[in-house]
Amino acid sequence: MSSTAASRKIEYSDSENRNALIAVKAHLIGGLLVFLLMMLAGFAMRAAQGTWLEIAVDLFYQIMTVHGVGVVGAAGIASTGVLWYFLRQYVRLSNTIFWVNFCIFLTGVVMILGSIFLGGYGGAWTFLYPLPAISMGAWSTGAAAVFQLGLLVIGTGFLILYLDIGRAILAGYGSLAAALGLPQLFGKVPVDNTHPPTVVAGTMVLIVNFLGIAAGAVVLVMGLVNLYNPEFQPDALLMKNLIYFFGHVFINATIYASVTAVYELLPRYTGRPWKTSKVFYAAWFAIVFMVMAVYPHHLMMDFPMPQWMLVMGQILSFGSGIPVLVVTGYGALMIVYRSGIQWSTTTKLLFLSMFGWAAGVIPAILDAMVTINRVFHNTMWVPGHFHFYLLLGLLPMIIGFTYHLAGEGRQKEVKATDNVGFYAYLIGGFLTSMVFLASGASSVPRRWAVHMDEWVTFAQVGTVAAALVVLGTLLFILRALISLPRAADPS
Amino acid sequence: MLLKIKQEWLPLAAWFILALPPMQRFLEQSMVTHMLVQIPMLIIIGWMIGKTLPAEWKAKIAPWNRWGITGMALTIVIMAYWMLPRSLDGAVSEWYFEVLKFITLPVMGIALNLSWPLLNSIARGVLMLEFWATLMRLGWLYLDLPDRLCANYLLSDQRILGQLLLLGGSAYAISWTLRIMFGTKIIKA
Ligand code: HEM
Ligand SMILES: [Cu+2]
Repeated sequence: MSSTAASRKIEYSDSENRNALIAVKAHLIGGLLVFLLMMLAGFAMRAAQGTWLEIAVDLFYQIMTVHGVGVVGAAGIASTGVLWYFLRQYVRLSNTIFWVNFCIFLTGVVMILGSIFLGGYGGAWTFLYPLPAISMGAWSTGAAAVFQLGLLVIGTGFLILYLDIGRAILAGYGSLAAALGLPQLFGKVPVDNTHPPTVVAGTMVLIVNFLGIAAGAVVLVMGLVNLYNPEFQPDALLMKNLIYFFGHVFINATIYASVTAVYELLPRYTGRPWKTSKVFYAAWFAIVFMVMAVYPHHLMMDFPMPQWMLVMGQILSFGSGIPVLVVTGYGALMIVYRSGIQWSTTTKLLFLSMFGWAAGVIPAILDAMVTINRVFHNTMWVPGHFHFYLLLGLLPMIIGFTYHLAGEGRQKEVKATDNVGFYAYLIGGFLTSMVFLASGASSVPRRWAVHMDEWVTFAQVGTVAAALVVLGTLLFILRALISLPRAADPS
Repeated sequence: MLLKIKQEWLPLAAWFILALPPMQRFLEQSMVTHMLVQIPMLIIIGWMIGKTLPAEWKAKIAPWNRWGITGMALTIVIMAYWMLPRSLDGAVSEWYFEVLKFITLPVMGIALNLSWPLLNSIARGVLMLEFWATLMRLGWLYLDLPDRLCANYLLSDQRILGQLLLLGGSAYAISWTLRIMFGTKIIKA
């Protein structure tokens, strides 16, 4: 199907639209509240590492586990809300399935919380085999199993949602290749500038996350079999490969899903359309493969890994993120440049996200170089780079979208509280990440509950920075809670 | 007319051939042919019987099989049962297990044929995925488990079966990918 059919917007009934809007808001509010709680958990961890707060070691690891799994889950559910909101304008998506995934997600969250705080599971969200099975008494087999079952349940919910998205895209565009714009890229059909970028991004997210979660579903069950049948001992390196494939793809896809907010909203606030082009398609096509093939950068210190995989992991890590980032960042600049845009907190956040994403990728790329990884592996450098693009790249996209939905983008003046929130968040997020990076550069290891005396200052500065982030997020969320529930659809 | 009758009797003839003792022995002497040839054949026979079922019968069954849920539940139960190593062992050593197998698997095929088209497309997708994941998980288990799962079969048989399941799962994934990515169909359905 070609341009005219594709760029036609889908019609829904009023009640469907109302229900969909409520669902999207539920995703955002749910996600943001979890983010806030998890930031408090992060604050507590930093304070504990800085000796300002006393936390038992086992509790520290439970908090670290809940923080990791909580933010990844919140990122997944909130970014899905963003993507779904825009995608349903171009392909017919089912409200029911969207809600089904949300409810399954909540079920999984309850299971995971139970496994951590009732069962004492503290083996990190990466459930790296064989750690869940060898807790040395810190948690029971049952707790580890419920944690993995919870993840499995959440994964199943997402798979159901992706099946619906896949069905809808196939119905609208015939094949995923067409939705990605490949026939246009390869000159089979003329380039259509109005092909929606959201459809391209949504298709990419669908493909990689589908495969990622499918791998996760296999590896989680193998872990469960091992928990109850210890004589089954799968190859640990293969398990690690699958786990990181799943984990890397899932968290990365949240950024690619949320970036649709930039594609859709900046044009609305500047009055200039986001035009797709061959370069745009090429970038997104490349990223489909890159996101899936770069995960070996987590395994650089696993010497039995086939060398070609590590080489691939390093080379692709240089390039991963860059194509879409360049296309998006450049596109955003071109749209905003001399557009006479009125800066609101909504647009500021969206613009910030471009910076956060771009800058955060730099330490990530550094760490993906074997020679550097030899030194930085498992140091605070790692949390440093991902907090950078998650705190300053991903969250601003999600919060910016929330503000847009709340109607902030069209208000004449920026409220003082929003200003305070924005700068507290910006400075705090930047500092949090930079302190992590600085600690990493000084070889402070990650995932240590108790820090040596020499490292404590880092952690203390980190705690102050964390307080700023929490303050900013609190202001954002209060605002969202007050104006979001009643806000009409601004589009 | 003659041709039509022939077509309808074909599955039954195939069933009888499979049930002939030499054929049965031949296919059951190795785990691979037992699980990857005989059992799928029995299911396909059921599927073909389901296709040629008279319309009145189908109409009578339909109210009991809304959205294909009953039939799918039956299918899943039967399939899960015959994936248990204990059941396979039983089929080799006990005649009544064997009879049960020759009846339930075609029944499963019939149920599958009647229910699959009625099923919601999302449910179909979930089941296909779960089927794929089962192939991969079982294949992996058969490869890595230190013990024999079936008392009647050799460990080396189990290993080969594991590899074949993984291969099959991969082929399935690739064909599915090609179809939704580019709309190419390897097998025209
Ligand atoms: C106030 C904001 C935040 C603070 C203070 C904070 C703090 C921390 C700390 C102290 C750790 C453990 C570091 C270590 O290994 O010793 C951590 C880990 C982590 N954080 Fe955060 N964080 C914050 C926000 C976020 C956000 C918004 C995300 C994601 C969107 C995130 C994702 C992660 C992940 C994935 C881990 C790894 C957990 C693991 O090692 O298993 N954090 N964070
Ligand atoms: Cu990664």
